[in-house]
Amino acid sequence: MPSEQNRDRPSLPPDPEPVAPPKTGTTMTRQEFVRTLGLATAGVSGAVALVAISRRDRAPRDPVGPDTVRTLPEPADLPGPGAEEDVLLRMQRELRQAMAKPVEERKWVMVIDQRKCVGCHACTIGCIAENKLPPGVVYRPVTTEETGVFPNVRLQFLPRPCMQCEEPPCVPVCPVDATWRRPDGITIIDYDRCIGCRYCLTACPYGARTSDFGEYYTDGTVAGDGDVLAADGAKAWEHQPNHELGKRWNRTGHQSPMGNARKCHFCLHRLEVGELPMCATTCIGRATYFGDANDPRSLVSELLQQHQTRTLLPHLGTKPRVFYIA
Amino acid sequence: MNALPLATDYVPRYQVWRRLLWIAWTVMLVLGTIGLVQRFVQGHLPAGYGSYVPWGLWIAIYFHGVGMAGGVFFIGALGYLLGWPGFQRGKNLRLVIVLALSAIVPAFVAVGLDLGHMLRFPSIFLHPSFTSMMAFNAWMYSAFVVVAGVCWWLSYLKDAGLRRPLAEWLKPLLSLAIVFAMLFPSQSGAFFGVVGAKPYWHSALLPVLFLTSALTSGAALLLFARVLTNAAGGYQVTPQEQAEEHWMMNRLRIWLVAGLITYVGFEFAEFSIAFWNPTSHAPALELVLWGPYWWVFWGVHLLAGVAVPLALLGSRTRRYWPPAAMLVAVSFLSARLNVLVPGQAVPELKGLHEAFRHSRLDYIYHATLMEYFVGLFCVALGMTVFVLGRRVNQAVRDWFQVRVPTFGHEAL
Repeated sequence: MPSEQNRDRPSLPPDPEPVAPPKTGTTMTRQEFVRTLGLATAGVSGAVALVAISRRDRAPRDPVGPDTVRTLPEPADLPGPGAEEDVLLRMQRELRQAMAKPVEERKWVMVIDQRKCVGCHACTIGCIAENKLPPGVVYRPVTTEETGVFPNVRLQFLPRPCMQCEEPPCVPVCPVDATWRRPDGITIIDYDRCIGCRYCLTACPYGARTSDFGEYYTDGTVAGDGDVLAADGAKAWEHQPNHELGKRWNRTGHQSPMGNARKCHFCLHRLEVGELPMCATTCIGRATYFGDANDPRSLVSELLQQHQTRTLLPHLGTKPRVFYIA
Repeated sequence: MNALPLATDYVPRYQVWRRLLWIAWTVMLVLGTIGLVQRFVQGHLPAGYGSYVPWGLWIAIYFHGVGMAGGVFFIGALGYLLGWPGFQRGKNLRLVIVLALSAIVPAFVAVGLDLGHMLRFPSIFLHPSFTSMMAFNAWMYSAFVVVAGVCWWLSYLKDAGLRRPLAEWLKPLLSLAIVFAMLFPSQSGAFFGVVGAKPYWHSALLPVLFLTSALTSGAALLLFARVLTNAAGGYQVTPQEQAEEHWMMNRLRIWLVAGLITYVGFEFAEFSIAFWNPTSHAPALELVLWGPYWWVFWGVHLLAGVAVPLALLGSRTRRYWPPAAMLVAVSFLSARLNVLVPGQAVPELKGLHEAFRHSRLDYIYHATLMEYFVGLFCVALGMTVFVLGRRVNQAVRDWFQVRVPTFGHEAL
């Protein structure tokens, strides 16, 4: 065995300069060269075609036109429009009017008045309850920014839903076309198609997408009797399906949306029945406004006209549809 | 002509190497299996990545493996096409293909285990969106695997002199596969480069850096594998072949040195731009250089991955080259990690991780034991694919030798 021989020879003499043997030189024939060129041309053409096809303007994936019109009944016992009307009632009324138009004529926007936000996190919790979000999944966190030095301190709160960008960076990165922008501007995810690669999470500069890793709030809790506040009741509730995007989702057995990317969708399932997004409804300071910016008389249109609003990270060119009054 | 037997120049203690590699393989397989079981039983729960740092060690392994596969194939197949000594035989090409496969298969496994819905991976082929670099990447390396597989078979036909019209497609297809092998490591860089949300990633230099690292770590893996297979395969080679082997090893060594210097040069270019313009992506770079994982850059990448290998490769003593190559092949994973993690660890919106507390809503990432174990499984799997691949090569060669007497030593 050569290795045996070398055991007795720990240090080898310096190696001589490697000898370059004459090149064997395999060359291509004319036919091989032509075939290579043909394959290269076919490959490049195929790739260009794929890119061109995937970048062309496609027909909307969601239904549009008269079929999307929703005639929602006006609640009988509500006061009509007027100076005394609560903003929530006004937004709800305008929502019903917007739903009476085809989907492509609606332009949902959210306006958040940071001067009114008290940082109560009711919107965060309302959203979690509405969409039955598991641990680690959050659609609308509220950040706190502290400026100044004690005792001259100012706190400013920034609720951060999905920005529903006009140029959403999370959409083109999806390798399986599982996320897209609806005609009304809401970006949604097809949980049944999403493979859970999390590319969209990295692409969103606002951190508005979170992944459902399969946790439950009741994991590891001690057993209790049937009360909803005890573990068994809470567990039973937590394992019931949720109804995001108007569908029934049951996470049990690693089913979607477990394993998927998840995001705020302006409570699309509520909009469909004439209800405001949960975060707007639960806002105790009436700091969250929601409505159709295509309606010039809507509250959100008024706010956008009257105030100097800002969007988050405007330099990225995502054109968010969530506006802040600071 | 060198007086010493060929392989002893490079691995004078081959049996020690062999034993160590087998021990490493066994340990990695056992630990890896534990990690794998944990992954399948508990899903992603024991993993350290989350929603703000969604990709961790496994994705780094994926890009490292894919890059090495591209690099190995690019060098080996180009050498075959251009008739470089030590590369020009059919057996050299087939070893290169098996080696590329043994790097890319664990990469697929790593990325598959990272998916939230592993069984939905065919979607990427059934309804892909080519606006995504991920879809492009997946298609490109799948095409590569198919074309490389066809080339593997055609190389046998060519060496056996069978089905000549079919075998004449070998070089055209090989050229195509070489283009693929260059494209998908570059695309891996573009994969991150197109993410405008991450300033550290959003750089046109990233595809070049990824390609350079692929070619460098690929050369390293090829050198290491060739040395070991030469040592394992005995010395029944002609003097001509011995000379060719020395020439090939020396070329790989030069390639490796050039690759290391080029990579560090590009890296310096990237870092210096950020530091002379601190408003760009300096926070991520500060994490790389002075963050909690500073030792990954300074210790693993620069010292173990560049400085020590350069010193070893600078020596004319050939037995220093295989450890240098192994160091490069392994430690370049740190280069992938240093792109991947710091790019995600800097929030665009301040205070987001404090807005809603959860371990998966944090910008700090530590790989967990399960992730490390699965990483070890991937390495063990790569070694297994390589060993089995060589056996398949041998079996097919034997099959041809029985049927085609002219299928001689030159084509082994």
